[in-house]
Amino acid sequence: MTKRLLAAALVAGFLAACVASALQFALTSPLILAAEKYETAETVAPARHAFANPLIVLAHAGHDHGGEPQWQPAPGLPRLAFTALATLVSGVGYALLLGAVLVASGREVTPGEALKFGIGGFLAASLAPAIGLPPELPGVAAAALESRQLWWVATAVATAAGLYLIAIRRGPVAIGLGLALIVAPQAWGAPHGPEEISAMPPVYAAQFAARSLAIGFAFWAVLGLAFGWAWGAVTGRQGAAGHTHGVTA
Amino acid sequence: MVAITRSLSPALVGERLSAVLLAATLGIGLLFVSGFAPVVALHNAAHDWRHAHNFPCH
Repeated sequence: MTKRLLAAALVAGFLAACVASALQFALTSPLILAAEKYETAETVAPARHAFANPLIVLAHAGHDHGGEPQWQPAPGLPRLAFTALATLVSGVGYALLLGAVLVASGREVTPGEALKFGIGGFLAASLAPAIGLPPELPGVAAAALESRQLWWVATAVATAAGLYLIAIRRGPVAIGLGLALIVAPQAWGAPHGPEEISAMPPVYAAQFAARSLAIGFAFWAVLGLAFGWAWGAVTGRQGAAGHTHGVTA
Repeated sequence: MVAITRSLSPALVGERLSAVLLAATLGIGLLFVSGFAPVVALHNAAHDWRHAHNFPCH
């Protein structure tokens, strides 16, 4: 079962990363590049763009050793390639988590069932954190990195647990507890930075947030469908007897 | 498949548990590297992915 789970996650992560990468190159990367022109306007060396914002220096204070330019992928194709690689790594990572939850739930793994879990993943890891921390372009002022990461993880985990209780456990107590878990991080509130006036046209930020969520939905839908399909394909679809020839896959 | 797993417990239940734990650990590790790791080179390599998928960045 371990091999089957890992194999299905690899396939699903790869397919979802292909779709998400294409969408990112077409929809979000051009906006990021456009926003970086505003971010780097007053920077000396473009290679240090990540530290142009004083808030960033605070967030990285323990790690930044001053003026040396840090490695980053060269503009153009290398940068796209590294973005695609990061998408692949994350796609496999999310597919492993989706598969782990799906298998742990004890439900039969089908494309339809896996799609439901994929949509749950979108709600937990994309939509719920975006309510408090909307997808942001580079150069937008924000609160300290660690506090946002903490809220992000807490919100994603609490929302996923809440959805699991509501959709799988059912029952009045589980549904009540699930709703509380989903609402709690939003009621607590995400950490917010200072509100600054930016020279960047606001339409960039609005487009970016909407496109980011749309790509997130496509990513998770493909991830779920592909995981369910690959889970069946790894053993041979007709193998309802399951393990007979699936273990070596 | 699920029915088989349950009827053949506890060996397959143990196998399922280990598969779930391994997948979850690997998945969290991969997501940490691509989405959260503070190492500057990793941050810069995954920069556009982090922004596009709303991981807190910078």
